[in-house]
Amino acid sequence: MKKDIVYILLLAMGITAGCQKSLLNPLPASDMPDYIVFDNADRIASQLNGMYTVMKNGKFLGGKYQIANEVRGEDYNNELSNNVTLQATWKRIVGNEVQEVKEIWSQGYLTINNANLFIDGMNAKGTKVVGDSLSKIYIGEAKFIRALSYFCLQQLYARPYWDGNGSKPGMILYTQGHTEKGNYSKARSTSTETYAQIIQDLNDAEGVLPKLAPGSQAATTHANWYSVIALKVRVYLFMGQYANVLTEAAKIVSAAEPFVSPGGHGLVADINKLYASPYTTVESIFSLPFTGTSGDYPGTQTQLGFYFSPKALPLQGNGEYSLLSTGIIADSSWKSATDARRKLLTKVGAKYYMTKFAAPPPFTDWAPILRYAEVLLNLAEAKVRVSNSVDAGALALLNAVRHRSDPSVTFAAGDFASPQALIDQILKEKHIELLGEGFRSMEVTRTGATFAARATYIAVPPTASNYIWPISSDELVYNKLCADNQ
Amino acid sequence: MRKLLLVVAGILLLASSLLAQNPRTVAGRVTDETGALLQGVTVSYPGGKTGTVTNAKGEFTLTLPTGIKQLRISMVGYETKLVPITGENLQVTLGLDSKSISEVVVVGYGTQRKTEVTGSISSVKGSAIAEMPIQSFEAGLGGRATGVQISVPNGVVNNPPVFRIRGVNSLSLSAYPLIIIDGIPTFTGDQGATNAPLNPLASVNPADIASIEIAKDAAATAIYGSRAASGVVFITTKKGKLGKAKFNYDGWVGWTSPTRLPKLLNAKQYIEIKNEGLLNKDPAATNLYVPNTDANGNMIDQNWYDIVYRSSGFSQSHSFNASGATENTNYYLSGGYTKQEGILRRNDFGRKNMLFNVDQKIGKILSVGTKLSYSNEESLISGSSGSLEGEAFNSGGLARLAFLTSPITPAYKNDGTYNVQANGNIGGIKNTNSVGIYNPKVLLDLDHSNTESNHIQGSVYAQLKPFEWMTLKTVYGIDYMLMDNNIYRNNISGDGVSPKGDAFSIYTQLKRWVWTNTAQFDRSFGSNSFNLLLGLEQQRDTRQRYGLERQFQSDNYFNTTQGGWLIDLSSGLLRRENYLMSAFSRLNYNYKEKYFLSGNLRQDQYSALAPGHKKGVFYGFSAGWEVSKEHFFTEGALGNIFSNFKLRGSYGKVGNMSGLGDYDFMFLYHPLLYGGNNAMYFNQSGNRDLGWEQSKKTDVGVSFGILKNRINFEFAYYYNNIDGLILYLTHAPSAGIPSTIPANVGSMFNKGLEASVNATVLDKGAFSWNSSFNFTYNKNQITSLVDGITEIPMITSSLEQTSINKVGYPVGMIYCVPAGGVDPATGRRILYNPAGEAEIYNPLNGAYTYLDGKPAQSLGAKTAQPYANTNPRFLGGFENTFRYKGFELNIMLTYQAGFSVYYGSNAGLRDQRYWNNSTDVLRRWQKPGDITDIPRLVNGDNVSNGSAYAISTNVFKGDFVKLRTIGLSYNLPAEVTRLAHISGARVYAQGQNLAIWTKYPGPDPEVSSNGNNPSAQGVDRNTLANGRTVTVGVNINF
Repeated sequence: MKKDIVYILLLAMGITAGCQKSLLNPLPASDMPDYIVFDNADRIASQLNGMYTVMKNGKFLGGKYQIANEVRGEDYNNELSNNVTLQATWKRIVGNEVQEVKEIWSQGYLTINNANLFIDGMNAKGTKVVGDSLSKIYIGEAKFIRALSYFCLQQLYARPYWDGNGSKPGMILYTQGHTEKGNYSKARSTSTETYAQIIQDLNDAEGVLPKLAPGSQAATTHANWYSVIALKVRVYLFMGQYANVLTEAAKIVSAAEPFVSPGGHGLVADINKLYASPYTTVESIFSLPFTGTSGDYPGTQTQLGFYFSPKALPLQGNGEYSLLSTGIIADSSWKSATDARRKLLTKVGAKYYMTKFAAPPPFTDWAPILRYAEVLLNLAEAKVRVSNSVDAGALALLNAVRHRSDPSVTFAAGDFASPQALIDQILKEKHIELLGEGFRSMEVTRTGATFAARATYIAVPPTASNYIWPISSDELVYNKLCADNQ
Repeated sequence: MRKLLLVVAGILLLASSLLAQNPRTVAGRVTDETGALLQGVTVSYPGGKTGTVTNAKGEFTLTLPTGIKQLRISMVGYETKLVPITGENLQVTLGLDSKSISEVVVVGYGTQRKTEVTGSISSVKGSAIAEMPIQSFEAGLGGRATGVQISVPNGVVNNPPVFRIRGVNSLSLSAYPLIIIDGIPTFTGDQGATNAPLNPLASVNPADIASIEIAKDAAATAIYGSRAASGVVFITTKKGKLGKAKFNYDGWVGWTSPTRLPKLLNAKQYIEIKNEGLLNKDPAATNLYVPNTDANGNMIDQNWYDIVYRSSGFSQSHSFNASGATENTNYYLSGGYTKQEGILRRNDFGRKNMLFNVDQKIGKILSVGTKLSYSNEESLISGSSGSLEGEAFNSGGLARLAFLTSPITPAYKNDGTYNVQANGNIGGIKNTNSVGIYNPKVLLDLDHSNTESNHIQGSVYAQLKPFEWMTLKTVYGIDYMLMDNNIYRNNISGDGVSPKGDAFSIYTQLKRWVWTNTAQFDRSFGSNSFNLLLGLEQQRDTRQRYGLERQFQSDNYFNTTQGGWLIDLSSGLLRRENYLMSAFSRLNYNYKEKYFLSGNLRQDQYSALAPGHKKGVFYGFSAGWEVSKEHFFTEGALGNIFSNFKLRGSYGKVGNMSGLGDYDFMFLYHPLLYGGNNAMYFNQSGNRDLGWEQSKKTDVGVSFGILKNRINFEFAYYYNNIDGLILYLTHAPSAGIPSTIPANVGSMFNKGLEASVNATVLDKGAFSWNSSFNFTYNKNQITSLVDGITEIPMITSSLEQTSINKVGYPVGMIYCVPAGGVDPATGRRILYNPAGEAEIYNPLNGAYTYLDGKPAQSLGAKTAQPYANTNPRFLGGFENTFRYKGFELNIMLTYQAGFSVYYGSNAGLRDQRYWNNSTDVLRRWQKPGDITDIPRLVNGDNVSNGSAYAISTNVFKGDFVKLRTIGLSYNLPAEVTRLAHISGARVYAQGQNLAIWTKYPGPDPEVSSNGNNPSAQGVDRNTLANGRTVTVGVNINF
């Protein structure tokens, strides 16, 4: 009898000791709960990087955004007829349900929400942890990311600024982070309002970000004062506010040759250096970095190299798009023999491929987003438009870009019968210089040009509904206030 | 008050018996009901520490303290008797213990006599499924119990069947019942990480199962509280039986073949049909399809079914067990081996398993036992069959490639090499037009996608019975699944072409431990019997997965991750845990075994719910009345008609959390890199209010027997109201919310009727005929969804919108564009817009017009309408067993009715792109006035027949009756077995799925392209058909 009681007591003790209340609140091993991410400076720095990581996802600025802008233009031929690799975009007949239309839209807004959450978190807690001075810089970077994301989405999903002078529908604007379930129906703001938000963010960032000398990974992959100004130059150009382009560009481009920034930015002598490790040239104002570690390179079927490099060894791309012989490579002023940029093309059989991004799988070439050559050409164009003359300064800028790759060609004032002729040449130089870097479609729409016909696909004039993309069907289903593009 | 007095009196009686301690001696003899002497019977007295056992003559003598008025006589397998000491020499007869024979059912944390059960429980004997050619036992349950729907979704071996008890009880979480194997809850659902499904329940050899109990209502399930909403299934494995050791071998071999495959065009017909489409599109077309020829100049007519399907898959199974029991020890040991080939080539299932069950009594009050089961399972397949959830539109889905690939193109070129193009697609040889996607022969020859599982289930227990009325038990169990997943995709044709060869090795580990402690008290006071169960339980799951992916193979020689590759990637990383902490109790009471009351209460705390919402209290009450024990009944006319008559009813609240992600309620940041530096970003939105799904279940039943129980009837009505259904909410992408958010926002009900009849139709000497029929009617309806949202469309395999959950409708309605026939004047498809107006689709320009030719709005997924119910309204089975001497013939029919299936594959079979078609298209519209259901052929047209978006043309009634099994067995006569020195032998032959009666045109209406997902059920999209199996076997007792 006594023994039984001992047994029972032991059992009871064992049972009570066994309950482990702490196991009811397990912490995930692979993710971090939101309530501790602003606890120390390292985690905040990690989040700062995280905003860029979301932006550099292959579904957004890590690849697809640029690829979509490239293949909408006149330069490429779709080789594999694969719907997953932007065939619809190439055909310029995309519906609301098309994968890239949905992906770029959603990844863009994920980036924006991450920036908003970061700003909210810094204001609530992070600033106390890292201190005021660092916090200002961090928030400035977040605003740069938000501005760049809105700007990029605006180019594909909204009518260009010139159409109605910004009165057409722009983006759905949010400056507050979202985490909770709820009703997020909201109408689109106008293009004017969208650009106003972009400019405001960039002005804020300009006021707080440091002026970093180029050449380091930090200066290339994080926003600083120079990247903000370079982006502002671009944004004002897209708004057609050319005087503002001059004002902004003057902050980072010297008045006379060699064109350099106060921090030392300039054209890198060998253009190949832009697309080769370590990718941190004096010309690289802002680039998105990749490495070969899992998760640090673009995802399947989003990589620039996968799309544009041919399959032939040693390139190992997938040859999704070759260059059409009728595209920009047909341009005779772009000299085959002497222009270094021709060396960035690769011929396989009878076809040329754009091979700026030649790193083999997993395709770790950095994606250039802002570089000094673009700033120079943007400035050149604005100079001509403001002065409405065959501007000598513009000519100097144009020649600077051309001479870096081909010293044998020099443009002279006499070559241009009108200011427009010079503008056309600057645009062509930009087309050549930035081929493969995701500018073509937005250059076409910005300038109100027609998408040129190619193969069996007819030209798309600015009046056509498929001049821009429709809105993602997911947005239209879950946000009844959002209007589709007509 | 009278009861209280009885209790007090009882206690006093007990106390007085303990006080008197003067010795005396009694003797006696124990026999069984037939008068045979029983050896080894334990004879003791209540409260005493000593006792004795009977000798070979059944005799005993025992010295007792005075004051002892009764003896306790007990033996395993017999009822325990308390015998009053009426003299010095007692004659005791022990009857067989009804609990150890058939009249006992397994309930949560114990067993109960069937007569005392007030909940709704269906029992299936293990022998019913032991010899079936199935991979896991639940696949054999179809039609065997009321309220239970089993649908084998496709012919891929080891795929978990669709398993529903009393309808669909969840929308987003698992609607799979909780499965308890020998007291330990086990894992369910496909746990593999490859294209070969791995059903954890396949680790149990059906031959080792003694019984299966299916608990359906709150009374029977509430003791499992938060996991009981979809019902609970108890599996009990075999134990030894008293007597000398028995050895048994059971083995069968079987052959499986595909059935009811759609008839396809041959090469000549393909060319005729496709060229007609090309010319209808452009009369000037010149790039037409041309025949290919083989090396001898003969026209190639490739039958892709032959490439993809086995004409006859061979299967075998061998089980061996040894068992026995003595008064103190009970053991069962078994080993099994099975290898089963599916109808799809390279799709195999293999299992090697061992099971040990040992129970041992130590002294009088302590018993211990252990169970250990180990099984090694292999699920093998070359790659996607297109049949698992999410696979329907896989480019390499073999079921679709089998009917899609053109018959004019061969598997091999004439030079003997594979017929593939540089991009990995199959080539057309002389044709530049497309002829297919991947070459299925290459996929089948080179690829693999295999899961191997080492599954260990074990438990140890100790049970203490310090008093006759008190049982204390502690059980510690584990369930470990250790799985290796290996995938290889070749670099010639298929998904592996782009990464130039792709191999994965992924290790998955699921570990669960469960510790249960119970105390049970059984007391009777006169006619009042009480049974009280108190328990504490903890369960912890940890799972982790990690893997390696390697791409760019250096040489075709390599096809595993251990070979030579250029790129190393990590793959499949996952680490999770959850913890469930519970306290529970149950009180059973009956008065004279006539009135029964039962109550269950359980509190669960679960880690995967939001803080403040982790705790849930669940309960169930039930009552039963054995009317036939009333005087008015036995003495009245009713007693002459009914041999028994019982009423029961129950009500309770249970929960559901199965399938809820361990951290779904949390707001999470995910670590990643930014150019080699640390980064993390907001990756998951959670819900701070996430709580249980709750079901309120009501059940009323009546059961009765007539003609001395020769015919037994059982009827039940149930109503199950589910509240707080968890839905994963999607937000507008512009909100930037990175994930869907789980929220308790929906409600739904199931209500229905169940009826079953079991009858001994004939029992005349050597011949007997038993028949059982069961019937279930179920009605399901969603009563509310999210605030403001009344419908949630569902997408099959991320591509095709096929289904919808909509308030006022049953779960998983088919959601499609209503279609009419073919316009006789133009040969174009008639479709209906949401206003109900007929429109005609012109495939030449993609335009929609009204019948009068005026332009109309375009139709598509956006104009789809809820079209047909996919939940079987009626289901059941009809089983007949005929015995004559040693022969037994068993015929089992199952049926489901009152539901529709979306036959999406039919859209593919009539697709007017390069796809091959079913012979249906031969009756296409050709000239004005033609009356037909196949529109005019226009090359590239994927709208008119329903590929671009789902149309009602491809929705069919799914009603069916299946000849599920037919089995014939013969027990060899004793004279024969004696000669062979064996104690018994039986030979048998069985057929599975031999016939089906249905108007459904596809291979099988019992199908699901979306696995167990209730919200998108009843979809047949590119799914592998079920096979027909014939087996022969032998069962020998040594």
